[in-house]
Amino acid sequence: MANYRSCKSCKSRSLIPDDVTGNTFCASCGVVQDFDNFQAHIGGFTGDTGTYVRIGSAGTGSYNNYKENKVYEAQKLIEDFMFKLGFSGSKSHEVKTLVQNITNGEYGAGRWFPVFVGACAYVVMRKDSKMLPIVEVADLVGCDVHELGRMIGRVVDFVDLKLPEFDIVNSFERAIRTSPSFSEVSEDMLKTMMKQGVFLVQCLIKWFLTTGRRPIPVVAAVLVFIGELNKVPVTIEEVAQELHVAVSTCKRRYKELLEKLVEVARVLPWGKDVTVKNIMKNASFVIQYMEMKSMKRCGGKGKSFDLIQTDIEGLVGDCFSKEIQYGFNSDHVEDCSSQYFEVEGSSTLSIEYPDKFQISQESLAMIYSNYLDEIALAKSTAEIGGSMREKGKGFDLEACTDWWKGKSDLSKKLLLRQILKKDVGLDATPPSFKMGCIASGKRRERIKAAKLRIERIMCPTSADTGCNNDICVFKPEKSKKKRKRGQVDIDWEDLIIETLLLHKVKEEEIENGHYNVLLALHRGQLPTWENTRELQIL
Amino acid sequence: MGCNNTGPSDLMADAQGLEGSQPVDLSKHPSGIVPTLQNIVSTVNLDCKLDLKAIALQARNAEYNPKRFAAVIMRIREPKTTALIFASGKMVCTGAKSEQQSKLAARKYARIIQKLGFPAKFKDFKIQNIVGSCDVKFPIRLEGLAYAHGAFSSYEPELFPGLIYRMKQPKIVLLIFVSGKIVLTGAKVREETYTAFENIYPVLTEFRKVQQWYGFIDILIYLSFLKFK
Repeated sequence: MANYRSCKSCKSRSLIPDDVTGNTFCASCGVVQDFDNFQAHIGGFTGDTGTYVRIGSAGTGSYNNYKENKVYEAQKLIEDFMFKLGFSGSKSHEVKTLVQNITNGEYGAGRWFPVFVGACAYVVMRKDSKMLPIVEVADLVGCDVHELGRMIGRVVDFVDLKLPEFDIVNSFERAIRTSPSFSEVSEDMLKTMMKQGVFLVQCLIKWFLTTGRRPIPVVAAVLVFIGELNKVPVTIEEVAQELHVAVSTCKRRYKELLEKLVEVARVLPWGKDVTVKNIMKNASFVIQYMEMKSMKRCGGKGKSFDLIQTDIEGLVGDCFSKEIQYGFNSDHVEDCSSQYFEVEGSSTLSIEYPDKFQISQESLAMIYSNYLDEIALAKSTAEIGGSMREKGKGFDLEACTDWWKGKSDLSKKLLLRQILKKDVGLDATPPSFKMGCIASGKRRERIKAAKLRIERIMCPTSADTGCNNDICVFKPEKSKKKRKRGQVDIDWEDLIIETLLLHKVKEEEIENGHYNVLLALHRGQLPTWENTRELQIL
Repeated sequence: MGCNNTGPSDLMADAQGLEGSQPVDLSKHPSGIVPTLQNIVSTVNLDCKLDLKAIALQARNAEYNPKRFAAVIMRIREPKTTALIFASGKMVCTGAKSEQQSKLAARKYARIIQKLGFPAKFKDFKIQNIVGSCDVKFPIRLEGLAYAHGAFSSYEPELFPGLIYRMKQPKIVLLIFVSGKIVLTGAKVREETYTAFENIYPVLTEFRKVQQWYGFIDILIYLSFLKFK
C-alpha cells in the first residue's frame, strides 16, 4: 500500500494500518500514529467510488447494501409471520423456498411483500389440506381478505398449482384445537366435542348452510353450540374474535343452526313444543335422533340395527311408557328441564292425556308399543333389556351423559358424496333458494292481483258481479284515506307489473323480477308515467 | 268506465310483436330458459381529441373529476345508459339492455359531442361484453360441481359465494350460485351467452338438489321396517 506520510517518531515511511483498530502504526518503531483515517465519501448515485471500497459493507445507497438489507428484512418478516402463524420448521422452510423461488431470490420490500408472504403461507398450508383460514392470515398481514385472495390467485397461477377444495371439517378441527376458549377442556372431552362438531358441520353441509357462505363463521357457530352442549363456558363474541370473523355473521349462522335443529326436532313426540329458545335443552335428543338416522343407511344391516333398536327403544319407548318417572339430579334440575316435561305441567309424562299429542304421534306410540311387545317375544329379556332399561324405571337425564354414541360415520370426515347419502332426519334447501322462491311467489301474487285489476278496468260489468273486496283499483285521487286504512296496498311494483302485463310481457319473465330490463326492452312501446296514471284513473 | 280508444286494449294490441311475448324457441333454447341480457358494454372511436373540461362545463348530463377518473362520465335517459368519454376520443358505453340500444346510445353520445363543437365521427363501434343472467330454479351443489369440473371451476367460499366457471368454448365466464341463479359474462354476441347456458344446463342438473320427504312419514316407514325386521 502506498503511504505518503512518515512516522512522527522515526520519520520512517513504513506505516502500516492495523486491521483491528484501523489506526496506523510504524512498522519500524511501532509507534501508533495520530488518528488520520479519513475516508472519502464512497458510493452514491453512480455507484462505489474512492480508494477504500469494501463491497456491500460501507457507504450509503450502494446496490449491494440495499439488496442485503432488503433480503435481511424480508427474511426477518417471513420468520416473524411463521412464528405468529405457528408454522412448524418444515412448513416455514417450504414458505421460504416458495417466496425465494417466486421472487428469484430477490425477495421484496414494500406493502405488497407481507401480502405476498401471507399468500405463500396460505398456499403451502392449503396444498397439504391444512386449512389455515384466509381471515387469520389477512388479519396478521393487515390487509383485506380480497387483496390477499388476489395475491393467492397470482401465486397459484405462477407455480401452476391446483389447490384442494376448502375443507370446512378440517377447518373446524383446527379451530377447536387452537381456540383458547377450549384450552381448558380435557383431552377426552375435546375428542368427544370434536366428533360432535364434525357431525354437526357435516349436517350443515348437507343442509346447504355452508355452500356459498364463508366457512369460518359457520365453524364459530358450531363451536359455540358444541361448547354450550358440553357446558364449556364460551361466548359467541369470544369465539368470533379468536377466529377473526364478524360477530353478527356468527350469530346469524348460530341462529340458522338452531332453526335447523328445531326443524329436525319436529319429528320427536314433543317436537311441537321445541323452539329456538329451548332447543339447547332438547339438543341431546335431537342429535341422538340425527345420529341414529345417519346410522340407518350407512351401517351394516345387522350390527347397526341392533344398536338402533336399543337406542330407539330407550329413547322413544321410554318416553311413552306410563310407569317411567323422569327424575333429575337435584343440582341440575334447571339445566335438564325440557319443554317436553313442561307439556303436562308436571314432571310426569303420561299417555293418559293423548289430547296433548298430535294424532300422528299417537300412531307413533302405538307402533312403538306394538314393536316393543313383538320384539319382547322375539328376543330374550336379557337382550332386550339393554343398558337403558336396566337402569330401572327412572330415566335420569343427567346420568345419561352417554346420549352421544359417536358411532355414526358422520362423526368422521366423509366425502361430500357420502354426506349427501346420509339421512339425518331433515333435508333442507339453501336459504337463498328459499328466499328466491318466496320472492317469486310474492311476485306471482302481485301479477294475479294486477291481472284482476286490469280485468276489472277493461270489463267493468263482469268485474262488478264478481267483485272481491281484496281487489282494489288504484285511484290516486281518492286513495289517501284508503291507504291510511290499509285497504289499498298498491305500490310502484304493482304499477310496473300492470304496465308490463298490458304490453303482453310473459308472466314468467315478470316473475323473475328483472323489471329494469323489461322496462328498457319495452320502453318504446310503454306509456309514460303520466299515461300510466291516467290509465289507472280511467 | 266509458270506451277509451287509447286504453289498455290498444296497448295490448300494440304489444303483440314484442320480444317478450314470443314463446321460447326450444330448438334454440332446449332448456326452455333464455338468459336475460342485463348489460351491454360497447366501445366506439370518435376519432378526434376532446377537451374534457369543456365538455363537462357545457353538458348538463356530464360529470368530470380528473383527480378521481380521467374521463367524462355522461348519462342519457333513453336508452338509459352511461358513457365514459376519454380525451383521446375513445368512448365506452355501458348499461344498455340490447345491442341495438347500445349502438343507439353510442350514436346519441357522439351527436352530443358533435353539438358541443367537436368533429366527432362514429368509428369502430364494437360490442365488447354482454352480461346475462338467469335462474335455473333449483339449488346447486357447488362443492360437487367444483370437484367434478375442477379444470374449469374455481370455488372459494372464503372469498366469493359463487362458483366461477370458465367455459372454454364459447369463452364465457359463468358465476353459478347455490340458489340456482346464474350470471354469464364475457360474450361478444348474445348467441355465445345462449350457447354457454345451454352447455352448462345439463351439468347443473347433475348437481341439482333432489327433493326428499322426511318427517313423520319417513319415521313411520322406518319404524315399520324395524318392526318387520
